[in-house]
Order: sequence, then structure tokens, then C-alpha cells
Amino acid sequence: MNNLLRLFFLVAIVSSCITDSDDRFERFSFDGTGYRPIYTTEEDMAKIAVIDAQPLSKPGKIYVLDPYLFINESGKGIHIIDNLDPKNPKNISFISIAGNYDMAAKGKYLYADNLTNLVVFDISDPKLPKLTKTVPNAVPVNNYPPFNNVYFECVESKKGIVTGWEKVPMAKRPNCSR
Amino acid sequence: MKKIAPFIFLGLAVLGLVLILTGCEDGRNDSALNPQTGAGGSMARFAITGNTLYIVTKQSLEVYDIENGTNPVKSVKKDMGVGIETIFPYRDNLYIGAMDGMYIFNNINPRDPKLQSKYQHIQSCDPVVVQGKYAYVTLRNGVSCRPQNTASSLDVVDVSNPTAPQMVHTQRMTSPYGLGVSGSKLFVCEGPIGLTVLDISDPAKPVFKKTMGDLPAYDIIVRDKHLIVTGEKGLFQYKHDDADNIEFLSKIPVL
Repeated sequence: MNNLLRLFFLVAIVSSCITDSDDRFERFSFDGTGYRPIYTTEEDMAKIAVIDAQPLSKPGKIYVLDPYLFINESGKGIHIIDNLDPKNPKNISFISIAGNYDMAAKGKYLYADNLTNLVVFDISDPKLPKLTKTVPNAVPVNNYPPFNNVYFECVESKKGIVTGWEKVPMAKRPNCSR
Repeated sequence: MKKIAPFIFLGLAVLGLVLILTGCEDGRNDSALNPQTGAGGSMARFAITGNTLYIVTKQSLEVYDIENGTNPVKSVKKDMGVGIETIFPYRDNLYIGAMDGMYIFNNINPRDPKLQSKYQHIQSCDPVVVQGKYAYVTLRNGVSCRPQNTASSLDVVDVSNPTAPQMVHTQRMTSPYGLGVSGSKLFVCEGPIGLTVLDISDPAKPVFKKTMGDLPAYDIIVRDKHLIVTGEKGLFQYKHDDADNIEFLSKIPVL
């Protein structure tokens, strides 16, 4: 009997986690908005290039490794600045990296996010950084939005890798929720 | 046998003590300023101490060994709650800002950080910096950050005991983003409103000095007397001194 009871609770607990598309009742109310996955193809993700210095447009986070300064261009890549003389900083090159917001550096290596990848550059020559390594899925994005009690469009892996979520108005309650 | 038991016990205790002490020593070396290692601002999701690269994703802390710089090797992943935003290493601890609080991990063993505590507050977005025994945490309201609340604030949290952080002070802020601390000055980026300067001669009680309204500010790195700020107008550098003077050095404007 005791075991039966345990089994019952186990089943109850497990089934409570399942996202059920046939759910008749709403666990929480649908307010007409839901999250839609933003997909990126592996091809687009792999587009990384070192180009000439670019003007700042939407500067984001900064990182210092003397005498260099790294400035993130939101979602686009990294400006490399020679800051030996802070009164006269020189914009020397730009690494174009899809989906980049963060970086850190040590010695001759620069680490950056490239959507869900971690990429490593050899910056011995900061005018010409070289991509030396790509670690896939280092910054994982789950197949659900990072919020609780929300509705979202179910992920279709054939469309690509989920690299973000946008909240949009939805006419119909989507099938997935958490 | 009975006679030597206490000696074995004592020996083990001494050994343990030595291990603990040297462990702390290693941790210090790792976190100490290394000319080879760079520094990020408080908004960072990436941080390096010693031979370890830490990455916070929205829901986890990912730890990589970068002893071989070109080949990061994952050593551990710590699953965390949702809404992880920032990481700030200071001495033997990692301070992780999340939408519902601040986590403190001990990284004496850099490859396997241990959770010490979680300082919880109302939902918000909150980078953190630490100096001495205090952590400065900004809580920003906004569409995706703190929808139910109207007030943004700056909290001062006593972290001298990382397992039991205590809030000692809170004050209103307008719209805080990144922040930086150096000596008796605390700088808070307030987005389009500018860069706010606070005096922390008493580190537990920041006193508002001024807001530089012509300097929209998002992220800041403070290194001794040198300020590096980014915002919607570009990159700005300043030098400050103890007499509240802030001298403009240069800018790279947004074009």
C-alpha cells in the first residue's frame, strides 16, 4: 500500500512537469501575449570577421587589458582600442561577432560570446586578432523563455538554434507554457 | 593503539588547518590583480580570475579552466535560478547579480565554486561591486526588471560574513545600471540621466555628491583614479581626485 502511494505521488509529480498541449484549463490566465523564439542558423552564427576600426554606434560593456580597451558593440562585436595614452585613445580594429555582448581577456587571449558559442581569439597582434577556437553551446539558451508562468511558441529545432525570446501579442494561446 | 589515537587526531587537525590556510592563500593570489588578467565592469557576464573563466548565462554559472589559454575546458556547471545577470569576482568570492537577489559563491577552489548564501530582495536588475566588507548593489525598476515596483535603489550589504549578508543601508536612485568603486568614491551609471558620484568616506553610508548629466552612462570601470565610461554618446575617460575634481581626459564619440 505504501509503495502504491509512493508510486501515485511519483506519477503525480512527474506528470505535473509535462507541458500538456491538450490542457483544457489554464494554469494561469493568458493575457494575449506570449514569447516567440528567435532562431539563428548555424551559418549566420559562424560569421566572424576582423575588419578595420569602426565608429561606435551602440557601445555596451567595457573590458580593460592594459594597454588595450575592449568595447562591446551591442549584438555586433568588439572594438579594440589602444589606450596606452588615455588622453588619446586609438580605435584600431573591430571583430565582427554575431550576437556578442560580453568579453574577458587574459594574456594574449580574448574570450567572447557568439550567441550560444564561446569564441577565443589570439590577440597577440590586436590589429589582426585570430579566431583560434569555438566552444559550441557554452552559453546555453533553454528551449523555453527564462520566465515562469508564461506562454510561448513551442520550439522547432529544424528552424535553427534558439538565441533569444521576444514577447509579442498573440491572438491564440500558444501550446507551450511554464 | 589507544595512546596514539589522539596524536593521529591532532596530526589530522593540523594538516587540515594547513590545507585550509594554504587554500586561502591560493585564492588570494588568484584574485589579486594580475598584470596579465584584465578587468571588466559590473555589468559583465564574463570574468577571469587566475586560470579560470567564469560565464554566467541566464540560468547557470559555467566554469572553464583556461590554463591552456586557447583551449577552455569546462570544469563545472552550477545550475541557478532564472534571471542571472552579472558576475563580479572579489577576493575569494564571486558576487552574482540576479533578478531576484545576489548570490555569493566562494571560489577558494576556483574550478568548483561553492554557494555561500543568497541575498534576496524584490525583483529587479542588479549589478554589484564590492570593496572591503561592503557590496554595493543597484536595483533598477523597468519593463523587464522590476515591473511591480516603482522605486530604484542602491543597497549597501555587509558581506564580511559571506554566509550571512546583511543590508545596512538603502537609498533611492533614479535609474541605476553599472557601478564602480574606488577608495572613497562610488560611481553609479544612471543611463540617460548621467553618471552619479557618491562619497563613501563612511563605506556603509553613501552620500550623494552630484550627477554628471551630460554623460549618459551604462557601464563603468574604475581603476584607482581613472574612470572609463560607456554610454549612448560613446566612450569617455576621466581622472578624479579626492577633492571631488573630475578631469576630462578623452572621448570616442558615437557616430
